[in-house]
Amino acid sequence: MRNLLDFLAKYYHWLIFLLLEVVSFVLLFQFNHYQNSVWLTTANTVVGHIDAWERNLLDYMALGDANRQLTQRNLFLEQNNAALMRQIQELTHDSTRTELLQAQRLQDVDLMPAEVVTNSVLRKNNWMTVSAGSLDGVEPEMGVVCGTGIVGIILAVSDHFSIVTPLLNGNSSVSCRLRGSSYIGFLRWDGRSPLYCILDDIPRHARFKVGDIVETSGHGSTFPAGLFVGRVSAIENSDDGLSYRLRVHLGMDFSRMQRVCIVRQKFQQELRNLEAKADSLNNEEQ
Amino acid sequence: MIIRFLQRLLWMLALVAAQILVFNHVHIYGYTTPLPFVYLLLLFPLGTERWNILLWGFVCGLLCDITSLTLGVGMAAMTFVAFIQPPLLQLMLPKDAVEEMQPGYDTMGFWGYFRYAFLLTFIFVFTYFLLQVFNFFHPLHFLISMLSSWLLTFIFVLAIEAMRYKAPL
Repeated sequence: MRNLLDFLAKYYHWLIFLLLEVVSFVLLFQFNHYQNSVWLTTANTVVGHIDAWERNLLDYMALGDANRQLTQRNLFLEQNNAALMRQIQELTHDSTRTELLQAQRLQDVDLMPAEVVTNSVLRKNNWMTVSAGSLDGVEPEMGVVCGTGIVGIILAVSDHFSIVTPLLNGNSSVSCRLRGSSYIGFLRWDGRSPLYCILDDIPRHARFKVGDIVETSGHGSTFPAGLFVGRVSAIENSDDGLSYRLRVHLGMDFSRMQRVCIVRQKFQQELRNLEAKADSLNNEEQ
Repeated sequence: MIIRFLQRLLWMLALVAAQILVFNHVHIYGYTTPLPFVYLLLLFPLGTERWNILLWGFVCGLLCDITSLTLGVGMAAMTFVAFIQPPLLQLMLPKDAVEEMQPGYDTMGFWGYFRYAFLLTFIFVFTYFLLQVFNFFHPLHFLISMLSSWLLTFIFVLAIEAMRYKAPL
């Protein structure tokens, strides 16, 4: 306070000077139209500029918030975009001839879409879980296919999930044939590469070559006939030398499988009942 | 004190009267108008209180403005000159100048006073014309009228100071 008073005592003439000048200018602008208009125009311009600066400053200070919002928005849009891209890819997917044929073959059967929940390809006996269960109408022994080939057979079901014995399991055995001829063999897995299976029991008089197509035979009630499985990639002799053993390059890559379909044939139950009856008759005879 | 006040009052009234009655009617070629009433501020001796000079300048400007068309111009210019007169005089006076020394030919010498009046009248006339014109749209016109008015004002101030010197008041 004392400092302030000292300051005022020392520089009071500044105050008086400013006061008198202010009075002068007020009178100047009050009583002179020209100066008044110039003053107003200038003052307006200056105030406008100051307002603009203030606006800019406030905008700048609000940038942090805006940034956060934009980041959130960006995240949201990216997720959205990814989902849409997935859909587009599914819808505009350029289907191969195999897939078209597959779709044709599967026209007459019921297909239940399901997603792969767990999957393995590296073990001797691999298993796969899919997200459809007994509540969706899945039963054991139903076939599982995907767009480019067959996948496996349902082994067990719970309410919402099912376990599939895929082709890549030492216990799996699917009846297959060579397209064009009707020689039948059994498709098994030797536990080596997940890209190849083995087709056993092709008789020695059969005529075929490397690159021929292997498809399901339709025997048994699991798969309809003619579904693509793979192509012959090598021809060997079986262990006992009585038949051929074919190495089959599978049509699908198990290690990146995501969506599958479960096949329900119309008369599967009936067929199975009949087979069971035949079995029991057989047993009685024995 | 009173005498000094009355002296100043007389000076002021005389200068204002001269300005109003004579100099305001001088418009040489429409450009030049002398403004010698600023002489009042040149009179103040070293050591005068600053508020004192400021008030004198303000009132003198007001009196001159009342009769002219541009109220406020003379007041602002005179107040400004009254504000810078003391430090300027401090600079111009010799180092050994005594307190309360009246600026003039006798104390500063002709050239000393010449410099002093030269600067102060220029500052005054420049400020005055700037406020009156209040723009720079016609810089040539402004320069001619300002410089010629300043020259005339300067000459009149020197003349008045000479009169005072001859017959001290």
